[in-house]
Amino acid sequence: MNGGTNRSRFSDLVDDRVDEGVFRVDRAIYTDKAVFEAEIERIFEGGWVFLCHESQVAKPGDYWATEIGRQPVFVMRQTDGSLGCFINACSHRGAVVTPLKQGNANVITCRFHGWVYDRGGRCVSIKNEEAGYAATERSGGRFDLRRIGALDSYKGFVFGSLSSDVPALRDHLAAAARWIDLLADQAQNGLEVVPGCSTYVVHGNWKLQAENSVDGYHVTTLHSVFAATTAQREARDATAGMGRTESGRIKGKVPSGTYDLGNGHMGLWAQHITPHVRPIYEARAWLEEKLKPAEVEWILNRGRNLYLFPNAMLMDNPSTQIRLVKPVSAALTEVTVYCIAPKGESKTARAARLRKFEDFYLTAGMATSDDAAALEAVQDGSLGPPSQWNDMTRGLSDLVAGPDRDARDLGFEPASSCPDWDHEGMFHGFYRAWLERLEKGSGVA
Amino acid sequence: MSTNGIDPALEREVTALINREAMLLDRRRWEEWLDLYAEDAVYWVPAWATEEETTTDPETQLNLIYLKNRGRLEDRVFRIESRQSWASLPLDRTVHVIGNVLVESAEGDAVEATANCIVHVYGKKGAATRGSRYDFAFRRIDGALRIARKKVIFIDDRLEGPVDIYHL
Repeated sequence: MNGGTNRSRFSDLVDDRVDEGVFRVDRAIYTDKAVFEAEIERIFEGGWVFLCHESQVAKPGDYWATEIGRQPVFVMRQTDGSLGCFINACSHRGAVVTPLKQGNANVITCRFHGWVYDRGGRCVSIKNEEAGYAATERSGGRFDLRRIGALDSYKGFVFGSLSSDVPALRDHLAAAARWIDLLADQAQNGLEVVPGCSTYVVHGNWKLQAENSVDGYHVTTLHSVFAATTAQREARDATAGMGRTESGRIKGKVPSGTYDLGNGHMGLWAQHITPHVRPIYEARAWLEEKLKPAEVEWILNRGRNLYLFPNAMLMDNPSTQIRLVKPVSAALTEVTVYCIAPKGESKTARAARLRKFEDFYLTAGMATSDDAAALEAVQDGSLGPPSQWNDMTRGLSDLVAGPDRDARDLGFEPASSCPDWDHEGMFHGFYRAWLERLEKGSGVA
Repeated sequence: MSTNGIDPALEREVTALINREAMLLDRRRWEEWLDLYAEDAVYWVPAWATEEETTTDPETQLNLIYLKNRGRLEDRVFRIESRQSWASLPLDRTVHVIGNVLVESAEGDAVEATANCIVHVYGKKGAATRGSRYDFAFRRIDGALRIARKKVIFIDDRLEGPVDIYHL
């Protein structure tokens, strides 16, 4: 890019010649402002993004304010139990209408000039209406809040799109749907987002978050200190049961793999050598009764990270997490993390799940803070033109087109399978989907 | 006695202890810092549940940090000192400024106090100033006040950089 901002050929940024043993991305994809603007418009505002979990809008009138790209929106549980999602800007002068990030309301009243909207976004009252508008003006719907282009949920996970020109959600999710099943189906009473969250800012491009969520290769270096620290703690405290930390994946080789799940989604897994320390293990008998053996194996014995293109990760590894990425600029990303857990699990399991979350996943924790430092270092190292390419060919000779045996056992169809989480083949699918979306242009009319 | 019925000598002792903790953290005197804590000390930093409320039950809700004995503070020091934690290399520089120290109650060996703290942090990505409210419980052990509980309401959200024991 040589610092230029007139990039017209995004394809120059992805050197995709796998047949010749080459797959690399230009580091300008992390730093270039024009690339970033195109991503916001064409990816984040032009297609499906994750919005929230249904437990965050459980009751009629519950609302949840978030963004799609730059656009503030809010999800509102309707009186009939369905979901609505609206542009979070007053029809009058554009002020964000929700008073809080989350709440419950019969009507939403804009705090600026007092316009009132019902749960369905209809403008039901305008202050001093008769003195300013003709009697029939409001009835035509032109003062109603705008609905977003598409809204749907899959097993409790809610997605929306500003554009209505999108495939069905189930088609968008492709093989990733089966991985959502593994999280949703392990909870006999459904999942809930646990109170409390944390938002942190990383001085690095959003795609570094995407890459890192399925990058197993860093774990034995970057997180070896996490393993050493928790091992010391557990020896000292003689920790037993669920209080212990699964560290097989950090200390050395365990069976593992990664998948290109289609449409930019990616998955990573690693075998747990101590599955009995996982909070879900208490549900083993129920899982074995209700689910297929392959599903039980994947749920109980395999830690999994799922990246949902473009803005969400669902982790079921040391703990269970929804991680959302919000791109702020090419070099700045806001990340918000939530713990999601089976409703009705035992107090012991819930406490263990939260302690594992706090140990690892927060910037106040002992691993995610190190990840953030690593990603910031990549951002810094990508700034100069002489430092052009990030190589993503590790494990290329072992890359399997389509499903491997594990994928067939569970019943999902990845575009490709890597037999080791040290490998990088899943990134090819991510960057191909990324490029396709950039070259397709904006889906917003 | 002071106007709230608390012995001024105790107020001075508590203030000095809170100030000492801040000084030891800023100067990376970890072993002396750990010595200020009782063996069974609880160290708790709740997360924000909404824009206005933190989480309130550390066992069943998410916290930024929730450590239930002094050994777990030692673990944090171990990680910092290992030089293997990228978030802690180089270590952020900090200056704690303590204010508003108030002894709220004193009964036998148990003392409770509140205080505020502004921490100026300088790290790899620049400077930040963060605010905290402290709720302390102290216990007198062999004649010396020790920290039995430190609860930190960390008022900042949208956190830049790591948050570790020396930032709080």
